[in-house]
Amino acid sequence: MCDVQEKLIAWLDHELPTDESAEVQRHIEGCKQCRTRLVGYEKVSETFDVYCDVVMAAKTRRRVPRWVPVLAGAVAAVAVMFLTFPRTRIEPPPILPTTTAASVPVPAQPTPETAPRKTIHRRHAVAPVHVRAAKWQPRETAVQIAIPAEAIFPPGAMPKGMNFIAELSIAPDGSVKQVRLWQ
Amino acid sequence: MSDDSVPLALPLLRLAAGISEVTTLYSELRKPLLRYLVCLGLTSDEAQDVVQDAFLSLQRHLASNGTQENIRGWLFRVAHNQARNRQTSYHRRFGEPLDGEMDFLADDATPEQRVLEKEKFRHLAAAIRLLTESERGCLLLRAGGLRYREIGEVLGIATSTVADTVERGIKKLAEKCNV
Repeated sequence: MCDVQEKLIAWLDHELPTDESAEVQRHIEGCKQCRTRLVGYEKVSETFDVYCDVVMAAKTRRRVPRWVPVLAGAVAAVAVMFLTFPRTRIEPPPILPTTTAASVPVPAQPTPETAPRKTIHRRHAVAPVHVRAAKWQPRETAVQIAIPAEAIFPPGAMPKGMNFIAELSIAPDGSVKQVRLWQ
Repeated sequence: MSDDSVPLALPLLRLAAGISEVTTLYSELRKPLLRYLVCLGLTSDEAQDVVQDAFLSLQRHLASNGTQENIRGWLFRVAHNQARNRQTSYHRRFGEPLDGEMDFLADDATPEQRVLEKEKFRHLAAAIRLLTESERGCLLLRAGGLRYREIGEVLGIATSTVADTVERGIKKLAEKCNV
């Protein structure tokens, strides 16, 4: 039995002092038996290292429940169906001009003529939905309201029976775009 | 800058430097720590918690001007102690047969190679079960890249004892695995 046999693993781990390490190195070069042992120790160390990785990978892998891939597949299928079949086209109702009881008759606004629809050959089912949404604009409307002068000015400031007409232009988003007031 | 702003700024700079150091250590040592803890018998979730706690402790340690010598050994020691506190049984999971879990080991391997690989790990698992707690701990920390001195600090034993224990453990495994 070799004297350095007990130092082989420490030598492998670079844990020996320099002089002892050199001594073991010299011995290994001339001793076939120690070289064979050394190869075995190296192999065991590597296998142990891999085994630790395997244990960690196995335990980490078990963290994902079995139903997760099934649920992910179902969600993906629904998403594909949603993207493949476009939603039904819903035209927004035209916004009609509203008038109050006190309003005067408003001359009819000329409605813009809608161009005849063209048949579009769609290559992608999804894209036209966005195009339609971007191009659609509700018609602009105007509301006229008759306002008695007494409602605006203090009594006596204006002759009796005088009315003002307020014309409100409504923007597509529903807000008041413009207000014109005339007598 | 006024004179009184200097004492305020210095701890902040120190804190920022400490955080940066902890971040670097985290990216470097997280995986070895996790592997050590999982092989020690903790579940993956438990190991994650212990690692988080260990790095929080490190942050506090550095913020309170604790010693910065051998931080790696310090972290492993803290994690080891927390793991021991969490475990009801030290031998609870380590060395469990891994049948059915090693299918992913070598996806590109032939069935023959897979069988051989499984057999090799089965032998090793059986051999690991025969190791003492100290031998197993030393070999795990050695596999984590720790020096004998660091292993001694983690397990609270002398460096010479670590050398003897590692040698004994490796020889046992080699003998049982017919290497």
